[in-house]
Amino acid sequence: MGMMLTIHPEKCTGCRNCELACALEHEGNFRVKASRIHVYAWEREAFSVPMMCQQCKDAACSTVCMPKALTRDTATGLVDYDAAKCIGCKMCVQACQFGNIAWDAMSGTVLKCDTCDGDPACARICPTGALEWADEGLAVQPRKKSFATKLKNAFAEAQS
Amino acid sequence: MNGWMGKILRVDLGSGKISTERLDPQLARDYLGARGLGTKIMWDEVDPNVDPLSPANKLIFAPGPFSGTFAPSSGRYDVVTKGPLTGTIAASNSGGSFGAELKFAGWDVVILEGKAAKPSYLWICDDAVELRDASHLWGKDVPTTTEMLYGETSEDAKVACIGPAGEKLVLFASVMNEMQRAAGRTGVGAVMGSKNLKAIAVRGTQGVDVADKDAFVAACGEASRKIKEHPVGGTGLRLYGTDVLVNILNSVGGLPTNNFQTGHFPTADKVGGESLAAKQLQRPRGCFACIISCGRGTKVTNPKYKGEGEGPEYETAWGFGPDCGIDDLDAVTKANYWCNELGLDTISMGGTVACAVEMFSKGIITLKDTEGLDLSPGNAEAMVEAVRLTGVGEGFGKKLALGSWRLASIYGHPELSMTAKKQEMPAYEPRAVQGIGLNYATNNRGGCHVRGYTISPEVLGVPVKFDKDATEGKPELVALFQNLTAAIDSSGACLFTTFGIGADDYAAMLSALTGVAYSGDDFIKCGERVWNLERLWNNRAGFTAADDALPPRMTEEPMPTGPSKGSVSRVKEMMPKYYAVRGWDDAGRPTEEKLAELELA
Amino acid sequence: MKVRYFALLRDATGKREEVWTRPAPDVRTLMHDLVARYDEPFAKWVMVGDALAPFVAVLLDGKDVRDRGGLDCSLDGVAEVDIFPPLAGG
Repeated sequence: MGMMLTIHPEKCTGCRNCELACALEHEGNFRVKASRIHVYAWEREAFSVPMMCQQCKDAACSTVCMPKALTRDTATGLVDYDAAKCIGCKMCVQACQFGNIAWDAMSGTVLKCDTCDGDPACARICPTGALEWADEGLAVQPRKKSFATKLKNAFAEAQS
Repeated sequence: MNGWMGKILRVDLGSGKISTERLDPQLARDYLGARGLGTKIMWDEVDPNVDPLSPANKLIFAPGPFSGTFAPSSGRYDVVTKGPLTGTIAASNSGGSFGAELKFAGWDVVILEGKAAKPSYLWICDDAVELRDASHLWGKDVPTTTEMLYGETSEDAKVACIGPAGEKLVLFASVMNEMQRAAGRTGVGAVMGSKNLKAIAVRGTQGVDVADKDAFVAACGEASRKIKEHPVGGTGLRLYGTDVLVNILNSVGGLPTNNFQTGHFPTADKVGGESLAAKQLQRPRGCFACIISCGRGTKVTNPKYKGEGEGPEYETAWGFGPDCGIDDLDAVTKANYWCNELGLDTISMGGTVACAVEMFSKGIITLKDTEGLDLSPGNAEAMVEAVRLTGVGEGFGKKLALGSWRLASIYGHPELSMTAKKQEMPAYEPRAVQGIGLNYATNNRGGCHVRGYTISPEVLGVPVKFDKDATEGKPELVALFQNLTAAIDSSGACLFTTFGIGADDYAAMLSALTGVAYSGDDFIKCGERVWNLERLWNNRAGFTAADDALPPRMTEEPMPTGPSKGSVSRVKEMMPKYYAVRGWDDAGRPTEEKLAELELA
Repeated sequence: MKVRYFALLRDATGKREEVWTRPAPDVRTLMHDLVARYDEPFAKWVMVGDALAPFVAVLLDGKDVRDRGGLDCSLDGVAEVDIFPPLAGG
């Protein structure tokens, strides 16, 4: 089975350790604008959501990529980026509906999550488990079960 | 440079001149950053006798070398200036993301001088820095100001701003960043308001460089492991927040109640961390690079006190709760939200209301003086309204805005102001805990707990247990905590990392990051240097040994009730030993030898 | 004699406080009895073998046993025992 980087926004504290780990892993320093993961914060409500490439099966980015710098590997389930082939047209940035790919002027490449060779630095550093590197078949089981529990409790209440 | 960015931004708000200076590596080495570096710049450039709210005062924003890296829970910054509440040097520390963003924009220090002709804000976008008109923001609360600035600068920008309180020069006005984090104490927000500076918005695209990447990753990993495994920092703070302290302080009789009239409040549990978690907590929050997550995302649904945001912290819950004789958590949290939205220090606000409540209960002030505000002990609604009025500058709020010392003096009773050097003492009773009282009395910014947090050994038993009622060993303990904390404050690290790591750990991370070799002793020495520099500043500003004191109630009136009944603070007994331990003369002045040792001569 | 629980220990015991009627001459006896009553996770928070777990505060009418003899402290005449797991704050 494949693995996926699962987001649990209810556990996110907004600490951005993921951005730091990603930047150091890929850039060698703490340039968080080059992070492939970005945390959005709603400060009034004290809520945050991390976002990164979702490695789409029918990836819009790879569809529009003329030089085939972005291609999907069916074995790994990842959309791979080959900077050598990239012509910097930024059509992928235009195409991605999630905004999960970005152009980095400093390096002259696009930034997208590559799951760090099967050991994502962001999931490793996340202090609360808001980012989880999980078996894609099981990734949402806890969430599904949590809602199932609410249903179970509702029935128990109705019966008593 | 590694760790540091190597640049200082200087802005003359009057002329609009903006200049870049090089950060002297020797200064960075000796003072680290944040509190230390800001204080050194104040020492070099500002007359300690300056009027804090005049254009001659300077306002400094400075992150530390750790800020912007993944040194665990180490993304903080300081606002450094002469504090209008106390007249001392003031360095107020805050979390959030603002400090890290200053580093990403390429800056170690931002120095603001003079006064803008009209309300302005500073927009820092890497090297492109502009002063912009803020007339449309003036008068707006902190969340609204922040959102408007995201709209007109960048959604990625980080904003530090004042609310109406800072604009109206409330003497304990705060600077807020990311809406919910505060550089709270000593009135740094009023200095910002006096300069007609509404906000600083910053966005950076640069990176913080690391001298030895492998060593830094290893040192940070080790530090993170220690913090997470420590029973205290690892889980407790995330589950209950700092407010978990209410019950243990109450149990030992050290929870200041009704303006420090006693140290035990029977219904304290109703405003403690357990109640907060059960009733209002939505989720924990963490500042930049934080692994502890002590922040409280909360919500109050009670229509009377409806609101949402972050907090309350322990000091806040105490200040609006037991210190005012109140046990209504919804009201306490609402007061906390007002402080965040209007830009007020919760500790000084709580302490000032508590003082007013005591004066009201004794008939020293009446409904006529309070313009109809019924400040009877336990009146939660009136407490919340008092906070709001202070923040917006209306009614009795205008007098509360002076802080408890000036307020009580107006009515002829300064002894009812529970302050040291005119700053309100936080949530630990000096009669019940001897060491914290010594810290309050000797602290360079007056009544302050964080900078010498001996509650940790004296009450919590971390790292080891000291008897809270003993005076033996306390001068040494207080001085050590004060030195170590000053170093931590100057590095960008959060004080809660001390629940887990020590000087050697900070030194290891700092050395690997900056490429400058620090030992644990070197690190502490940086802190001792900063402490002594602050002391020199204060001495020049006219502070003497006489100011190293607590209110007479603490030293002369035995605690009337609770588990610490009968105790007084023996701070006067401990003072000579404290001066000796510090290497100061009998008048509390650093000796030539001490200054030479710290390279301050 | 009343025994009161705080923070994580409230979840571990399901209680804020209780009146303890079982004879307990000293703190050691009481702690062992409580561990036997509540088992895990209560046990791991408060005791490590025959010793108090690190940073645990046991107060006898507000006095911390760590300052006056630890587990050997007598419970004779004590009205309230407050037990805290490791805590932090600021």
